[in-house]
Amino acid sequence: MYIILVYDIEMDEGGAKASRRVFKTCKKYLTHIQKSVFEGDITPSLLQKLRIELDKFIRKDRDSVLVFKSREERWLQKEFWGKEDDKTSNFF
Amino acid sequence: MAESFYLFSNGELQRKDNVLRITASDGRYKDIKVEMTQDIYLFGEVDLNTKCLNYAGQLSIPIHIFNYYGSYTGSFYPKEKNVSGKLLIEQVNHYTDKYKRLEIAKAFIEAASYNILRNLRYYSERGRDLQACMTEIKGLRKVIPRTEDINELMGIEGCIRQAYYNSWKDIINQEVDFEKRVKRPPDNMINALISFVNSLIYATCLTEIYKTQLHPTVSYLHSAGERRFSLCLDISEIFKPLIGDRLIFSMLNKNMLTEKDFESQSNFCYLKDNGRKRLLQKYDEDLKRTIRHKVLNKNVSYRYLIRLECYKLIKHLMSDKKYEGFTIWW
Repeated sequence: MYIILVYDIEMDEGGAKASRRVFKTCKKYLTHIQKSVFEGDITPSLLQKLRIELDKFIRKDRDSVLVFKSREERWLQKEFWGKEDDKTSNFF
Repeated sequence: MAESFYLFSNGELQRKDNVLRITASDGRYKDIKVEMTQDIYLFGEVDLNTKCLNYAGQLSIPIHIFNYYGSYTGSFYPKEKNVSGKLLIEQVNHYTDKYKRLEIAKAFIEAASYNILRNLRYYSERGRDLQACMTEIKGLRKVIPRTEDINELMGIEGCIRQAYYNSWKDIINQEVDFEKRVKRPPDNMINALISFVNSLIYATCLTEIYKTQLHPTVSYLHSAGERRFSLCLDISEIFKPLIGDRLIFSMLNKNMLTEKDFESQSNFCYLKDNGRKRLLQKYDEDLKRTIRHKVLNKNVSYRYLIRLECYKLIKHLMSDKKYEGFTIWW
């Protein structure tokens, strides 16, 4: 499936630590496209693995992680308003 | 699902934040999402250290390295995870037994030549005059079951390829002077393309073999030589017509690659960086393309077909089911 993951970490004491860890963990599975936004193709089992990893770092009462799921990339219309960039490309 | 990454930039590949990061010399960087990566292709001049290799090894990501001219130099092949002594013994047994080896080798050639014929049929249905070539190859194919040793078989394979390559000037719309296959170094546009695409298929086969229990150095059609993973050569034989040749035809016939994308001098010819990138993009798309598998009754990608081929070979080696090479059925 193709997902977009967005997170919001409360910036109080311990926020910086949580945000750093969430960022680094997401980076292993998905492409970082904007400040706290990731996107990419993933399997249900790997998504579960990502979730288990994230659960250790997010504080249930303050932080939130949102996942938008789509069956496949082609069912997701993506538009760039302003600068266009292809961070999800496999070529560099 | 898992992705391949193609890195053209010069720079540094390193472990950073538990992902692999490539930093170009001008400071731009790209993080490679390691959990979703199956292999990495390096085309630029990249510095990497053992820390990075250790990490890639830990995650079982093979790294394929190509030199400045785009020819395959080698792979970083992580420690085998899927090992099976039983299978290895069978693999070697089938190699040392002349008849068993010939049986498998024949299956490879039969499938490869069938796929070649299908390519020719496709273009002859589109108005190219390829009848003579097709009859010649059909004739040669009849001899395959009667061959008695590997060298004879290889000879027939050579004849089939020669006839096939002779017909290329009729298939390709662009003006090309493709006389014969020349390697090391390739001397014209088509030879350069064939060399490059074949080495890509070769690397992809290696990635797929890595995922199975097969040992990549024990092969059947090609002699199990030293210093190379010859099983990849065997398996890629079947997929060259389907993936490689079709890719070349369509890139040239749609004018996606022209004379301008090549750098040639008196005795060699190479693809320039931009052309290489365009070709790789198409190659990557092709590998991801899916077809409905008749037996498995589900959609499989071209890349997965290569792995299925490995599984079929394993079944044969374990005397489970006789191996038959993959043939195009659509």
